[in-house]
Amino acid sequence: MNLLTALGFAVFERSGESSFRLVGQAPYWLPAGGVTEAFPFLEVFLPDAEEFWASPGDRTALYSDLWTQDDLHFCAIAVAGEQKFLLIECAERRFQQAQSFVQYAHETSLARDQIAKLTQAKTEFLARMSHEIRTPMNALLGMAELLAETPLNDEQREYVRRFRRAGNNLLNIINDILDFSKVEAGQIELEKIEFDPRKVVEEAIEIAGVGARAKGLEVSCRIQPQVPSRLLGDPGRLRQILLNLLGNAAKFTERGELTVLVKMDLDPDVLQFSVSDTGIGIPADRLSTIFDSFSQADASTTRKYGGTGLGLAISKRFVELMGGRIWAESTLGVGSTIHFTARFSVPQGPAQRPIENAQVALPARALRILLADDSEENRFLIRGYLKDSGCIIDEVENGAQAVEQFKHHAYDVVLMDAEMPVLDGYSATREIRALGATPIFLLTAHALAEARARSFEAGCTDHLTKPIKKATLVRAINDAINKFVPQNDRIHVSDRIHVCVESWLKPVVGGYLEKRRGDVGKLRAALDRGDYDTIRSLGHQMSGTGGGYGFDPITEIGSALEESALASDTARIRTSIEDLDRYLSAVRIE
Amino acid sequence: MVGQFGVGKTSLIRRFVDSIFDERYLTTVGVKIDRKDVTVGSESVTLMLWDLAGEDDLAQLNASHLRGASGYILVVDGCRAASLAKAVELQQRIARQLGPLPFVLVLNKADLRDRWEVQVAAVSERGWPTFETSAKAGSGVEEMFLALAGKLLQ
Repeated sequence: MNLLTALGFAVFERSGESSFRLVGQAPYWLPAGGVTEAFPFLEVFLPDAEEFWASPGDRTALYSDLWTQDDLHFCAIAVAGEQKFLLIECAERRFQQAQSFVQYAHETSLARDQIAKLTQAKTEFLARMSHEIRTPMNALLGMAELLAETPLNDEQREYVRRFRRAGNNLLNIINDILDFSKVEAGQIELEKIEFDPRKVVEEAIEIAGVGARAKGLEVSCRIQPQVPSRLLGDPGRLRQILLNLLGNAAKFTERGELTVLVKMDLDPDVLQFSVSDTGIGIPADRLSTIFDSFSQADASTTRKYGGTGLGLAISKRFVELMGGRIWAESTLGVGSTIHFTARFSVPQGPAQRPIENAQVALPARALRILLADDSEENRFLIRGYLKDSGCIIDEVENGAQAVEQFKHHAYDVVLMDAEMPVLDGYSATREIRALGATPIFLLTAHALAEARARSFEAGCTDHLTKPIKKATLVRAINDAINKFVPQNDRIHVSDRIHVCVESWLKPVVGGYLEKRRGDVGKLRAALDRGDYDTIRSLGHQMSGTGGGYGFDPITEIGSALEESALASDTARIRTSIEDLDRYLSAVRIE
Repeated sequence: MVGQFGVGKTSLIRRFVDSIFDERYLTTVGVKIDRKDVTVGSESVTLMLWDLAGEDDLAQLNASHLRGASGYILVVDGCRAASLAKAVELQQRIARQLGPLPFVLVLNKADLRDRWEVQVAAVSERGWPTFETSAKAGSGVEEMFLALAGKLLQ
């Protein structure tokens, strides 16, 4: 037993329940008195020990957890056998080992949480900054687009062209930063849609080739015949990678050519893309770091060639998301080749009918649009985009006004800014959504996934990220009206009603129609309070006067109102009011 | 004394028992037992303070360590919202095992209040006796222990 004492154990023989006798010498660390009084921890261990001594099974010993008391660390061990022993171990060494292991795990976990918080904060900061930058960019780029459509002399046209190019470059940088933060925050989800890889490569070359050819560079591509013409994957991100690589290649090449090669990998689901240039090349010791964030081959590169150093880092993340890898080969002064692989699947079944490019034409119908935006510049822009469409645009400056306006007029489309005073776009959308299924587009400079999710959660039809191009807006509106607005519920441009009024009536019809427009509000208010008498009376006035002025539909609507008011038919009254509102919006005097 | 790891359980006891605060973080392994004699009103009480290793992803609280407890302290790090969720979970587990014992909830690290993620209002809604403490500055620590001692005597 002296050996056990020397090894740091105090040994007690169990002489009865909770009764123990010290065997051998008392170690220096053993407090005076009975063992159960000396070690309060035994209060929780002995019930388990008694159970163990009663039926040890195959085990010979039961160990307690470690405990700390008076700055010393202990462990209790119940030993089974003919005699039952309780050992108390002064377990300093074991404690230190256990503590260093657990402490490492805890510190790592705390550091991981801290990094996650910092990353989140950075993502939020970038989202906010991108919003702040995108909002004025929306106005700048949009107005440049409108300006380009006006008559300009050659000098002015060149200024506008440069203005738009610089603006688009700036927007690309902002988009790069946003993409990078989205990838870092794990917010990028790849699409899985059918596409033709040849088309994607051709489009990328077409876009990137403009700048390259302007520098006098040849641009070509070779696609192995075995490359399938139908794949499932994310063509947008693939195009983005190719554009990044081609953009870099063009940037660092003064003469010669850029080549894109696409071939099958040994794995049949993997394609290998290679973008080669005859540019300045990359030093061998930098080949592995050029894909790091904010990294260019040489710090002076940024000064000479510009760029954020994010393009390759983003490309690398996209490639990895596509189950591939990216690497570089280069000879200084001769040129570089960036290779990447990406995994796609081949679609089963017949080819999907390619989605035709939505015609970027203004809506062919005179839609009534409610536009809510507190920025006069942005309202001006949207108005400008739709100026030749014949659309009727009612403008309001905040969400509360939008809701109010919506209650009193029938709209085909609502364009809603996200951040507005009084009532923001999300809340206003919720309120409007409760009133009807009209397509609502949230216009926001927030491009992150959360912002989109928030828009859809509020009930939006779609989320358009500023800066919004004319084509994007028009396409979205076209899509929405084709999907949502019933054909017979629409005022067509061709339906715009031109009424010939006798010359002697012309001075008064303007006032007459204005009065009827005022009646629309009165009718709605009367309907809200169930005042059928007023509705009948207004309907009666219309039915008796409309035809006289040349507006037969007003007479018809007035009669319908009169009849439905008598029958207290609220649904028909509501329809008649909307018919009247729409007619009054469409009617033109000749 | 129970709660997620790193919320400051050991530091609160050190502050209360020894009037010391150490910036270094030292993980508790198993159980750390201290005692402190206090006077509540006219009564002297000896508190046996069992500081149970904080829960983490790898190890859960050993339920046998709760045997014989007269009351308990749920410790939350105000800077970590997850530690409140853990405290709520522990309270439910302990109540299931031991029944309705007196307890207090401690929002620790009051010296870092500007970085708190925990919403005090959300805690108040539960109606639990709650104390804001700083083991580092010493604020609220003694009051919290004495309040629990008082509840134990009731």
